Amino acid sequence: MSAGAISPSILDVSNLTVRIDGQLLLSDVSLSVARGTLHAIVGPNGAGKSTLVYAVLGQIPFEGRILAHWRRNGRIGYVPQSFSVDRTLPVTVEDFLALTRQNRPVCFGVGRAAARRIAAMLDRVGLAGFEQRQLSVLSGGELRRVLLAHALDPLPELLILDEPATGLDQTASQWLEDVLLAARDRDDVTVLMVSHDHERVKRHGDRVTVLDRCVVADGAPADALA
Amino acid sequence: MTPFYAWVTSLAHSGILPADFQYPFLVRGFLCVLLLTPMLGGLSHLVVSRRMAFFSAALGQAALTGVSIGLLIGEPLNSPYGGMFGFCLLATLGMIYVKRRSSLPPDTLIGVFLALSLGLGLCLLVAVTRQFNVHQVEAVLFGSLLTVTDGDLLLLLAVGVVVMVLLAREYNHLLLDSLSPPLAGVEGSDSRFLDYFFAFLLALSIVVSLKIIGALLVEALVVVPAAASRNVARSARGYLLWSVAVAFVAGAGGLIVSNRYLVPTGAAVVLGASLAFFVTLVAGALGRDALGRMARGRQAAGVAIALVGLVLLANRLVIGALLVGAGAYFFKFGWPSARDQSARDQ
Repeated sequence: MSAGAISPSILDVSNLTVRIDGQLLLSDVSLSVARGTLHAIVGPNGAGKSTLVYAVLGQIPFEGRILAHWRRNGRIGYVPQSFSVDRTLPVTVEDFLALTRQNRPVCFGVGRAAARRIAAMLDRVGLAGFEQRQLSVLSGGELRRVLLAHALDPLPELLILDEPATGLDQTASQWLEDVLLAARDRDDVTVLMVSHDHERVKRHGDRVTVLDRCVVADGAPADALA
Repeated sequence: MTPFYAWVTSLAHSGILPADFQYPFLVRGFLCVLLLTPMLGGLSHLVVSRRMAFFSAALGQAALTGVSIGLLIGEPLNSPYGGMFGFCLLATLGMIYVKRRSSLPPDTLIGVFLALSLGLGLCLLVAVTRQFNVHQVEAVLFGSLLTVTDGDLLLLLAVGVVVMVLLAREYNHLLLDSLSPPLAGVEGSDSRFLDYFFAFLLALSIVVSLKIIGALLVEALVVVPAAASRNVARSARGYLLWSVAVAFVAGAGGLIVSNRYLVPTGAAVVLGASLAFFVTLVAGALGRDALGRMARGRQAAGVAIALVGLVLLANRLVIGALLVGAGAYFFKFGWPSARDQSARDQ
């Protein structure tokens, strides 16, 4: 992904094709993500939604062009679809969040400045006091909140979430929705989200791309999901 | 180094240090343990986190093949480092390269490399034993204190410093990459670089550890301390401290047992580490109830260390005094992580 000139869109994907082990996962996908919007990617299982995300993140080889137009820090916040933690791995929530927030190796301890910042981050996602909990004992919902706290600090220009509501109950889903809308409306964060929840996307999404290895529909939620 | 050995020997003769230290080879062995344990303990917990235990076993076998190659091309029996490091590096690059490009599971691929290097090593070993006494080669297989020289110590010191500095520099990236490669990638880590980088450090550490631990057992010291540590550690810091502590206790204990009962050093060290694993397994299980919580408490730790210190004080003044001091410190201040936490709570 490369940075381009000032543009109303933050991300332009052109003619993206992905093949893994000779298998075609995405074919000639083109889409544009407008700045300051909530853009949803929907589609059936195996449609290539996560593959698109991996390509945007530069994690897999692809053909075509992905162009980002940064105005602020150019930071991407990312919440992965799955984050399995080895049950016996002795890493606390504070250790995990400190990995990218201090230069000192985390195995030598977490510095005071990083600890204060992490406490504030956890407070923001409703997990105050969770610093010394081990990652491996967190529930799916708590782990998603930790990942979201990580993605939102420092405030990213583009927030990418891969099926963030998976495994969340109704209350947690509502909370997540509020956080994402606040990030978009208050902090001018562009949100690119893979989702299965068509109703929620229709309610709050600004634009939807329907994928099934290629772009099936792209436009306003009411039209694209009709 | 001779004046240093003479000084340590005089301390042993006067009863300040245990009688074992009157032999310079044992002093060298102890210095080896002091240098090896932070390095292997530090690597150990990342080896387990990155699921590279089997990989390090394969590197141990590759080192054996490397020794044979080194001897066959004319390197001295006492320091065939060129052959060892050369072949280990080749095996490391090969394994990582194929692992990153093949869709086969990593353990299957490493198994293939392990079989290949072991088969090659055994064939070459037969050729080597035509030129050398088999008992001389045995020292490479199982580790021997008698063959450690001052040159080996200096090499170990240099490599240990380089490995620890490089490891500290990339530690956070390595741990995040082992937790979630995509997340690490977004944060700017290069997964391919980290794979090769860590494997290179591991190969380097294994090569310089061979003379004391032996080719067949070195992987155990790279895996068992971290496995034992996982039973009791509750944070990344605890994970490192316990790994280093278990490696040190196993190393120092194995050294003394090996000297007193004439068993191979590597085997004694690995048995010590395995014993530590089962002790921590029980302690970890107990840690889930009240007894375990008490055992983890700072007072209990402080009193236990101080008691051991008092017992030793009668015969070994320096070691006893150090342990009494350490016990008093923990009793007063607790474990470092607990202290940091209480400071933050305030």
